[in-house]
Amino acid sequence: MAHSNDTANEGRQLRPGLWATINERYPGSMITKDDFVPLARPHKPLSEARLSFVSSAGVQPVGTLPFDVAHPVGDYSFRRVPSTATPAGLEIHQIKYPTHGALKDLNVIFPIERLQELAAEGVIGSLTPSLFSFIGYNMDPERFERTLAADIADAVVADGADAVLLSPA
Amino acid sequence: MSLQYLKEAVRDGDTEKLIRYVRLHLGDGNEAAGRKEIDKAWIEALKLLLDVPPTDREFINDTLKEKDAATLAHLFFDLHFYFVKHSGAWIHDGTL
Repeated sequence: MAHSNDTANEGRQLRPGLWATINERYPGSMITKDDFVPLARPHKPLSEARLSFVSSAGVQPVGTLPFDVAHPVGDYSFRRVPSTATPAGLEIHQIKYPTHGALKDLNVIFPIERLQELAAEGVIGSLTPSLFSFIGYNMDPERFERTLAADIADAVVADGADAVLLSPA
Repeated sequence: MSLQYLKEAVRDGDTEKLIRYVRLHLGDGNEAAGRKEIDKAWIEALKLLLDVPPTDREFINDTLKEKDAATLAHLFFDLHFYFVKHSGAWIHDGTL
């Protein structure tokens, strides 16, 4: 299993077999990146770090503009989720993964209460004011990288994050 | 399927690839399901008009006349999901 601090895996695409599987089901979806960026190393203990969370689960505050699940090429916007939010104040707008479990307990896909607990217990220093969510269905990886990924990265940095937990839905 | 794959299909006039993509998209990765979903949306729209209820024809006419084709295309996809949801037979895992 690849590990973030396994130097042998730095600079390599993780789980290369996954791409072959996806390409078999969705021809032409193979994504290759020659400029794969290695994961950054932490510069302070987790107990002192301000952690952010980025998820492709399509979670958003109730009442905000729903993610565009109908668009055939995807939605390249993101939503800020206040890190103090409760699951009752959040909802999911996406149609590409089973949400039965998440609708019972949002934490299974967007573990906001677990993160709040870890911050309260001192396991992590704190949470950024916002956590971030988007929908993972995007047909244009170049646009995704140039717009959505860059926008989220800027927002995470502006929020003062020392570390980011990335979670695919 | 990547966007590049679809653009190449448009360039080459390869409608089979484009149709397959639309079905996969609307069928959550299942081409046969997507085909049924398209039919379902049309059937639902048809059912709503069989009794010839009053409709806002002026709105339709103005929308088609005033909005650009890309917006109408976007609306077309939204309408598909609207009528699928209206049918009550929702195959997708999540919500709109």
